[in-house]
Order: sequence, then C-alpha cells, then structure tokens
Amino acid sequence: MSTAIAEREVALVDLVDRLLGGGVVIAGDITLAVADVDLVYVSLRALVSSVATAKEKELLPRMGDAL
Amino acid sequence: MIELYAITDNPGPPLPDLAPLGALSVDGLAAVYGPASSGEVTPEALWRHEEVVEALMEDRDLLPVRYGTCLEDEATAVRAVAERRADLAVALDQVRGAIELAVRVLLADERPAAAGPELSGAQYLCAKARSASERESAIRTLHEPLSILARASRQASPRAPSEPLRAAYLVDRPAVPAFTALVSRLQDANPRLRLLCTGPWPPYSFTES
Repeated sequence: MSTAIAEREVALVDLVDRLLGGGVVIAGDITLAVADVDLVYVSLRALVSSVATAKEKELLPRMGDAL
Repeated sequence: MIELYAITDNPGPPLPDLAPLGALSVDGLAAVYGPASSGEVTPEALWRHEEVVEALMEDRDLLPVRYGTCLEDEATAVRAVAERRADLAVALDQVRGAIELAVRVLLADERPAAAGPELSGAQYLCAKARSASERESAIRTLHEPLSILARASRQASPRAPSEPLRAAYLVDRPAVPAFTALVSRLQDANPRLRLLCTGPWPPYSFTES
C-alpha cells in the first residue's frame, strides 16, 4: 500500500469518527444513527483504496513537523 | 430539504464560495446550511462536507453539526436551532479560539490476533488483561501529558485490542505546534507504538455544553 493511501485511510478513520459520531445533534432527519457507524467503517474500508478523488487529509507530520 | 453544516456567530465573515451556502440567523447565532446531499455515505461525500466546514473554520469559531442533519426547509431549521439556542451558545464559547486534534495509538508490533475460536479460556483472559494494561499505560504515558497542553480532551473506546488509545484534544490555535512537537517526542520515546495524529479538525468531539 502506498504511503498516500495509508495516510488517507488513517485520516478517513478519524473523519468517520467525527462526522458520524460527533458534532452537534439537532433534531432533524439524521442520515445515520451512531449505532451504524461501525457498519459504515466496514463498507468504507472496502472503498477507500479505490478513491482517487477524495481530498487527502494531510497528517500533521506532512504539515512540517517530522514525526 | 436543506442540510446543516455548522453553528457559528452572527454576524460573521462572508461565507466561502466553494458551495451554495446560506446562513440562518437565530438570535446571535447563525446556522450555515446548503442543499441536502443525496444521503449516500461515501468517502467523497464525507470529504466534501468536511471541506465546507474546514473552509468556514478558517476565519471563524464554529460548532460542526452531525453529518446528515437534514431539515425540511429554512423555517424548520430556524425552529430546531432556536430550541437549543442557549446550549449552543455555551458550547460555542467553549471552543472559541481552539481546534481539535485526533490522536490514535496502535501497537506497532501487533500481529493479527489468532483465530478467535481456537483461543482457550485462559488465553482469552490473558489477552484481555494484556490489552487492559496496554491501555492504562498509554493513558499514563501519552494521554496525560497531551491533556496538559489541551483545553479539554475526550477518550473514545478503542475499536481493537491493538489500539490502546483513541482520543481527541481541544487545542488553542497558538498551542498546536507545541502539541505536535510533544506528539513527536512521545513517538520517539515509545518506538513500540505508532502515534497517529491528524488535524486540525473542527471541534466535532467538543460540541456538548
């Protein structure tokens, strides 16, 4: 697995945690309940390596700090 | 249908033009929204949503809204936000001037677990005890020093025994370099572990008042 894909996958885990498990809950038609987050991981993990267009969330080290 | 992105101050700086966005005014707060997306959860859809929230975050404080919060129309959204206005204002004050950093810790030498059914009861208990002790040790040596540099922190339950720590830190914007430098030092001091640090994220884990 290339480094870029590995890092995108690392960031995707953090992204899913935040968008689907965090944030303000305002009464509305929420697409997903928290309980479904694990299922989303399973399906997204299968997808992630084929996603060429997704914006790459850079890891902090790549923003200038050697880790 | 409209979809909410974030709760922020009203008035605020002009909205970024990378998506068709609007702001609903709710008594000193603004709810930033756009047309509802298709509802299918794909990495692209999540990144697109995140891109909008991050663009907003560049020049304002905000509370990100849970992904997929769709409401019938503007009037419904205003009513829904107004109901929680007091809590939201307090929560927004709590994240003012800060961003979120994610830290996950993995055991670098972890081999895939032996097939579950073949584990004896004793082996199972032993593995469980080991993972509890890895977790305690990660909290003591990593989470506690990182928390000192953060305004607030949250730990989520790890998803696997090979992940002793999964945490989020609310860090003042000027303190981000000190935080990442500490992550780097902790990584050097703990070669058995892999420290994965991403961000800056909108404060998704710190939206409770």
